[in-house]
Amino acid sequence: MPTLKMTLNGQEVSVDVEPGDLLAYVLRDKLGLIGTKISCGEGECGACTVLVDGKSVDSCIYPALKAQGREVVTIEGLGEDSRLDPIQQAFIDRTAPQCGYCIPGMVISAKALLDETPHPTRKEIEEGISGNLCRCTGYYQIIEAIELARERLAGKGGRG
Amino acid sequence: MSNKVVGQSVPKIDAATKVRGQRKFPQDFNLEGQLYAKVVWSEYPHARVLKVDVSQAEALPGVVAILTSKDVPVNEYGINIIDQPVLVGEGEKVRWLGDRIAIVIAESEKIAQKACQLVRVEYEPLPVVTDPREAMKPDAPLIHEERSDTNILKHIKIRKGDIEKGFAEADVIIEGYYVTPHVEHAYMQPEAGIGYIDEEGRVTVIAAAQWSHDDLHQISHMLNLPIDQLREIVPAIGGAFGGREDMYIQHLLALCAYCVRRPVKMVFDREESIRNTGKRHPYYMKYRTGATRDGKLTAVEIEIISDAGAYASTSVPVLSNSASFAAGPYIVPNAKVDAYTVYTNNAVAMAMRGFGSTQPAFAYEMQMNKLAEALKIDPVELRMKNLFEDGSIALTGNPMPPGVGIKEALRQTALAAGWGEEDGNWVKPELGPPSAPYKRRGIGVACGYKNVGYSFGFDDRTRVVVDLALDESGEIARALVKLGASDQGMGAHTALAQIAAEALGIDYQKVRMALVDTSMVPNAGSCSASRHVYISGNAVMRACQEALRKREEALRTGERRVSAEYEYRGRSVRPTTPYDGDSGMCNPHISYGYTSQIALVEVDVETGETEVLKVWAAQDVGRAINPEMVKGQAGGGVHMGLGYALTEEFIQKEGLVKTRRFSEYHIPTVADMPREFIPLIVEVADPTGPFGAKGVGEMTTLPTAPAIISAIHDAVGVWIDNLPATAEKVWRAMRSRS
Repeated sequence: MPTLKMTLNGQEVSVDVEPGDLLAYVLRDKLGLIGTKISCGEGECGACTVLVDGKSVDSCIYPALKAQGREVVTIEGLGEDSRLDPIQQAFIDRTAPQCGYCIPGMVISAKALLDETPHPTRKEIEEGISGNLCRCTGYYQIIEAIELARERLAGKGGRG
Repeated sequence: MSNKVVGQSVPKIDAATKVRGQRKFPQDFNLEGQLYAKVVWSEYPHARVLKVDVSQAEALPGVVAILTSKDVPVNEYGINIIDQPVLVGEGEKVRWLGDRIAIVIAESEKIAQKACQLVRVEYEPLPVVTDPREAMKPDAPLIHEERSDTNILKHIKIRKGDIEKGFAEADVIIEGYYVTPHVEHAYMQPEAGIGYIDEEGRVTVIAAAQWSHDDLHQISHMLNLPIDQLREIVPAIGGAFGGREDMYIQHLLALCAYCVRRPVKMVFDREESIRNTGKRHPYYMKYRTGATRDGKLTAVEIEIISDAGAYASTSVPVLSNSASFAAGPYIVPNAKVDAYTVYTNNAVAMAMRGFGSTQPAFAYEMQMNKLAEALKIDPVELRMKNLFEDGSIALTGNPMPPGVGIKEALRQTALAAGWGEEDGNWVKPELGPPSAPYKRRGIGVACGYKNVGYSFGFDDRTRVVVDLALDESGEIARALVKLGASDQGMGAHTALAQIAAEALGIDYQKVRMALVDTSMVPNAGSCSASRHVYISGNAVMRACQEALRKREEALRTGERRVSAEYEYRGRSVRPTTPYDGDSGMCNPHISYGYTSQIALVEVDVETGETEVLKVWAAQDVGRAINPEMVKGQAGGGVHMGLGYALTEEFIQKEGLVKTRRFSEYHIPTVADMPREFIPLIVEVADPTGPFGAKGVGEMTTLPTAPAIISAIHDAVGVWIDNLPATAEKVWRAMRSRS
């Protein structure tokens, strides 16, 4: 069984995987990181979004071995015990999570967007989460949360 | 009214763990030594099972057990009518694809999956009935021949006033025929869970459920075990929208644990979830509406045919709702309604956001907009002439209880959308130029209303326990609210915690909500009927008041713990009654929420594609316990309504599924949503609600589709009476018109 070695949320990990194993399942079933969700199984909904070398990918269709030697960040890698990532805090402050099943993927997509484009327009925010489906919210409070995170990250504080 | 916690958009009680990915959903639980289960699903929509051969599958290394119908102590269940087999055995019938032949339990999911393919099932195919209008005919093949000599599950009649006189008084009569499709709930979390025997020997299930205590009743029947030997735990629910009101996995997990006495995990993939679980009912609706020249409604005649699918589920209560709401929130003196729900071999139809109020809302609002056009009266003005007020007599002969906010909701929506009003005359705004020469703009109005709480005499009650921990000085250090109210994500627990904090006069942060675990919390009814804020909120408020009284006593005795229990019953305030069999007169519902929406669209005349630019959405919630959560419900309701209007259709051909996954069944993405969304919160209090609150969860979906479809008509002149209004459908309608 091949061994997958990667940097996962800042730590070196190695784990035995089958050649066909997909990253989402390895993260959840072998590494116990349940924050990454599986919903559609075909890369349509983005619930399984993680960062690989800073780019967002749908981990439910991403071969685990493709992450060999790369840097993977999951929702568990954001923020610290005592302090949330500003994106996570903004999601709370804008009442963005309803059922919350899409939220880890949404937060990771927002992270990928804001890392690459620190001052995204509303349209760029929409494009940034266009691969993430949500059935609860209509997306509005998620967009507002990302706008708030954008303001806070730019040091403007943001309203409330 | 000024409150410290109620009316504040406090952070949701579960948000911090959700944004970190720490909150556990059913698929996130694992237990030591767990096995994995997979289902062998029916391959035919209607067939007799001749032979089930599990020998090859059993021989596969790693297979622990294969459960068939013989393993189910009492092989039947059903939420409302017990007509569903748990597993279909030899000699019995499958009636849709979601029927199950066997459950394979194995050491790994892969082995279970492989073994499923080795189960050999022989079928004798039977004639498939897929159109309820055909299924109603006397010579149609019967789906449940052992139960009845007709596929018609229920016929509801309403006869009010004198229909002939009403149409004779009409200057204009509008006729319409409306068809709405099957809709997939499409909650993001597919069915999953784990069944095991707990430390007290109870058959225990961890799964997403809308009414855990009722699941136990059904599981108790199936396993022939007393309730106290059963337990259900409901962790975070990844959306439900009605789709988890029936059991689709809970009973299977219980059966697995009962049979093998080890933990068994089962996870449906998306295709299993779409193929094998219930849907919103397709409706076929024939409407005839009469009005005078000055816009007063005189009569309606309505026929509704609903496709129940293979099993009854809640089709009868859903139909009951539809009939009572069939004429909309309007005063209509003369009415005749005939509503039918009919078995077919299509997907089981069940509860979905609106519970039978959604489909007729499309029909009655299309009728109103067609009537406005025929009478050359502004659609807002026409509605204002007919809308309910407090005490108006509804279709079922009952006076509407205090708190009717529909006129206020429409008024606010229309003003926000730019309508002008003078002396009761309403004038539509100028829409501005379209964004391209090949596009046309249009605007559409719609209203709706939805019951809050259970209906037609069904006893609506919530029991709650509130525990207080007092500090040294007797102040409340912490409150724990215990009730079996599922929170499918909309924020029931947050709203109930706010109500508790307000009633106790303490900080919101001091309130905790107990995990829904039937061994620990009392029965609070289902998370449906938009009822938790109203019914459970009333229960929580009163339990808190009782706890405060007990605290006074504790202060005298030096006790540091206080516990109070209260059961709130809807009938104590407003008793509801079932339909009178002949006239249909009754007092159908406890309370109501009201809603109004206006949609601005652009239609591409070359492709027929509709873009929704803007939606104004007002919801009269009585009192917004948490305004941001109300806005969240409005956004989600419009999302579901926009999908209903334009993109969503669960398609079956001869009972087989054509839209099997999210790449084939399209729920709106962020790009499909209106760029501008203006939620408006209207607060016309219901004096019986906690702090005046009603409910909000379901009604937000009702007006979206008729508003969008009427806006399409305003833009390009075609009426799309058959949802969804795909680009192709609109294009074809435009072409056949020109």
